Amino acid sequence: MSPTKQRTIRMAAVYVGLTIGAIVVLFPFFWMIVTAFKQPGQAFTPEIFPSNPTLENFKRVLTDYGFARYFVNSVIVATTAALFATIFATFAGYVFAKKRFAGRDRVFGFLLLSLMIPGMMYVVPQFAIINKLGWMNTYQAMIVPHLANVFGLFLMRQYMMTIPSELLEAAKIDGAGEWKAFMTIMVPLSVPIIATLFLLTFQFHWNNFLWQLIVTNVERLYTVPVGLALFRSQHEQSYTLIMAGSCISVLPIAAIFFFAQRYFIEGMTMGAVKG
Amino acid sequence: MAAHVRDNLTSYTFLAPFLIIFLVFLAYPVFYSLYLALHQVPADSYDIFGGLEFVGFANFAKLFSDVRFWWSVLMTLYYAVLIIPSGIAFSLTLALLLNNRLKAVAVYRSAFFMPYVLDMLVVGIVWTLIYSPHFGVLVRMFESVGITAFSERGFLGTPASAMPAVVAANVLKGAGFGMILYLSAIQNIPKSLYEAAEIDGASGWQRFRSITLPLVKPITFFMVIIGTISALNAFAEVYAMTSGGPNIDVGGRALGATWVTGYYVFDAFYNQFKLGYAASMSYVLLALTLVITFVNRRFLSSEE
Repeated sequence: MSPTKQRTIRMAAVYVGLTIGAIVVLFPFFWMIVTAFKQPGQAFTPEIFPSNPTLENFKRVLTDYGFARYFVNSVIVATTAALFATIFATFAGYVFAKKRFAGRDRVFGFLLLSLMIPGMMYVVPQFAIINKLGWMNTYQAMIVPHLANVFGLFLMRQYMMTIPSELLEAAKIDGAGEWKAFMTIMVPLSVPIIATLFLLTFQFHWNNFLWQLIVTNVERLYTVPVGLALFRSQHEQSYTLIMAGSCISVLPIAAIFFFAQRYFIEGMTMGAVKG
Repeated sequence: MAAHVRDNLTSYTFLAPFLIIFLVFLAYPVFYSLYLALHQVPADSYDIFGGLEFVGFANFAKLFSDVRFWWSVLMTLYYAVLIIPSGIAFSLTLALLLNNRLKAVAVYRSAFFMPYVLDMLVVGIVWTLIYSPHFGVLVRMFESVGITAFSERGFLGTPASAMPAVVAANVLKGAGFGMILYLSAIQNIPKSLYEAAEIDGASGWQRFRSITLPLVKPITFFMVIIGTISALNAFAEVYAMTSGGPNIDVGGRALGATWVTGYYVFDAFYNQFKLGYAASMSYVLLALTLVITFVNRRFLSSEE
């Protein structure tokens, strides 16, 4: 066999392998969407594409079952949390990257240590603290405990360390104070990492099901995943409705990923590659 | 004011919001959890915070004789043993396939990565539809090739297949993450190594074994650590797909085929209101995490 022919066969095999892989990986989402468009109660018809697709399931979960409300709650929680988590990490990342102060390295090491602790560990004591604060069934209960994002701080610091300190010094020689130098030099030059962190924390909070389930038990505060889980436990076999709810739950993140995938992929894998 | 004092002051002012949240919600809970682990809600109390009573190490003692707890540790290990190798194998395969000069690399890359950013709960719920008994799409596929073993109870309801099914859903969701890590490691390997090996007559498999595999070892190590931690934390996938079931009979006791420790912590705390007991369990989880991470580190670095 000639080398070119061998190469062609090899490449064909690679494409076939990747395409099969992609079909398997994406099948659940395809099936979710297809089922959401089937006639209510007809989730298990053998057809792959519904013969008379309908929006009825979406209409019903949004109006009869409160998913519109859940969606608004998710947007409020994820947006507020992402905003503050990003701002806090930007402040903290700046001083760890550019300032000298007493205890800097020890504090940073202490913060990183917390990344070793399994998340399940936090559920019980955080719940107890929320109770003590009287925050049960509030937005701040869903938001505040997760505003110190250590991984995000780490990303921020790594990025800011690559910004030349001379720029800050030049600004200070020109008479800029600490705050002004931070706002006019650091923040504009860190826009890519700030955007990355905003998206990652938004995604984290959108998906933060367990915590949101624990601190809310009134329907008006349910987020989409919580609403979906509880809806399912009451309507176990209504799979067309459950899938419509699932679509509403994952599509915002899928859409954001579609437009900003570079930020997601780089942000999520950056720490691992460096560490 | 001396310059360094002012510097410290500005630095800690910038740090304050992050540090306060960290101390209250991430540092303090580790100790508070120990306090809770040494207490329990009195049997006659409806207010779970009203009067916690001090019980010393009673929760831990109960834990060590709790069959369901040891069973959950066993199931967590089983989960880890299934998910770590299969996750590594699948992501490495995808990375190797993508590491060919392809036309549509970006499209494949995003297709494989996308599920990773989505919510495990929702993905799990979608899989319960796919794994359904009788008319579920996967049961039908199996029936079309003559396998009816799962038809009656579905993949999640059949004890032998429940854990592998949960793991499979998770591997397919998470593969894109490992794939990206492996891909960038592979692309950092100097081409000259492969060329030299080719001149020496090494086959494709030999080149993979003696060049690629050793040089991506840091990623493999990272994947083992991450896999271990996620097994110890496994909750949403179990909540969404099996609730710890289906039950199997082990020496006269009904134990769940997917009853992992992460789910038991949730169950003890959320369904049974046993705060102290759940806290003591999460402490054992923490100890296990640290031990396993340490052992992994020793084991994988002494392999050289």
